[in-house]
Amino acid sequence: MSSGNDASTQAQKRAAAEGRAQGLDIGWTVFSYLLAGMAAYGAIGWLIGRAVHVSLLFPIGMLVGLAISLGFIIYRYGRVGAVTRPSSRGNAKGDDR
Amino acid sequence: MTGDVGVLASGGCHIFSGCGFPAPGLQDFEWKPLFSIGSFDFTKPMLLAILAALVVIVFFWVAFRSPKLVPRGIQNLGELAILAVRDQILRPSLGRKGDSYLPFLVSLFFFIYIMNVMELIPLLQFPVTSRIGFVWPLVFIVYFLYLYLGVKNQGPWGYLKNMIPPGVPAPIYIILVPVELLRFFVFQPFTLGVRLFGNMFAGHLLLTIFTLASWYLLSLSVGLVYAAGSFALAIFVFLLETLVTLLQAFIFTTLTATYIASSVEPAH
Repeated sequence: MSSGNDASTQAQKRAAAEGRAQGLDIGWTVFSYLLAGMAAYGAIGWLIGRAVHVSLLFPIGMLVGLAISLGFIIYRYGRVGAVTRPSSRGNAKGDDR
Repeated sequence: MTGDVGVLASGGCHIFSGCGFPAPGLQDFEWKPLFSIGSFDFTKPMLLAILAALVVIVFFWVAFRSPKLVPRGIQNLGELAILAVRDQILRPSLGRKGDSYLPFLVSLFFFIYIMNVMELIPLLQFPVTSRIGFVWPLVFIVYFLYLYLGVKNQGPWGYLKNMIPPGVPAPIYIILVPVELLRFFVFQPFTLGVRLFGNMFAGHLLLTIFTLASWYLLSLSVGLVYAAGSFALAIFVFLLETLVTLLQAFIFTTLTATYIASSVEPAH
């Protein structure tokens, strides 16, 4: 195998590792957003519902929170190229071990 | 009943002998104290956690006690371990600028991995991380570093502002604030800790169930077939757990690296 092939394999491995780290990060961030949206607006709904004696505001708040989370997730991660990475990463050439 | 007492108690208990299955449960995660100092009880998971820390410290100390330019023996292994963490966990998230965090990430990865893998080592056979009390301090350390680096590099106000990406219209910004605060301070650390704990807890429980069931179902009857099936599953779960122990340590450390990256350089 020529050294050129080695370099491209290295680059491929590096890209795969970067994709893996990014995927893990985004996956768990999205999951946290879904829970946080429901909890935040569920709590707001529950508090308002308690004040005005309308218990239905609790589940409605949760649904609104879920909708907000989903909307934001689509806005943030749903578009092609929406996720940008700091430019300094991934430009390492060769291996300096 | 505490610890593996449940397993011992089932010694003479087999199917068709009028004896119910001694199902494993939470009691298999509670340990009798090895010794007590006043009201403080020292238990097996504590011993294993100390052992895990010692393994990591001694291994890397021995490997790099007198490092040679051309590594030999255990130094080779040590370098392999460090390079694996650097190339698979640190560099993909932080790039070369993050190399100063390598000692932290290497220690974190191997400490968690050793604690996890104790599940599969005979006599030890208990994953320390299946006790959530051992996971929260790790989450706390990671989160403290995450916050500290964020505030240090971006300033307190800039850090809060950068939580929500730029370009979001003002009304949506306000709507997102409670979601973002809860996500950042509650759910992100919660999922970080519970993921590790849950996987190890479930893995240990599955192993206990199938191992115990193999013994319970063992009898000179059709139970022998069931026992063989259960034993095959126990082996399967064992093999699965060899992967899960490594994977959970990898995920925890990778997420730590991405957190550090987002603190050092905010998302654009």
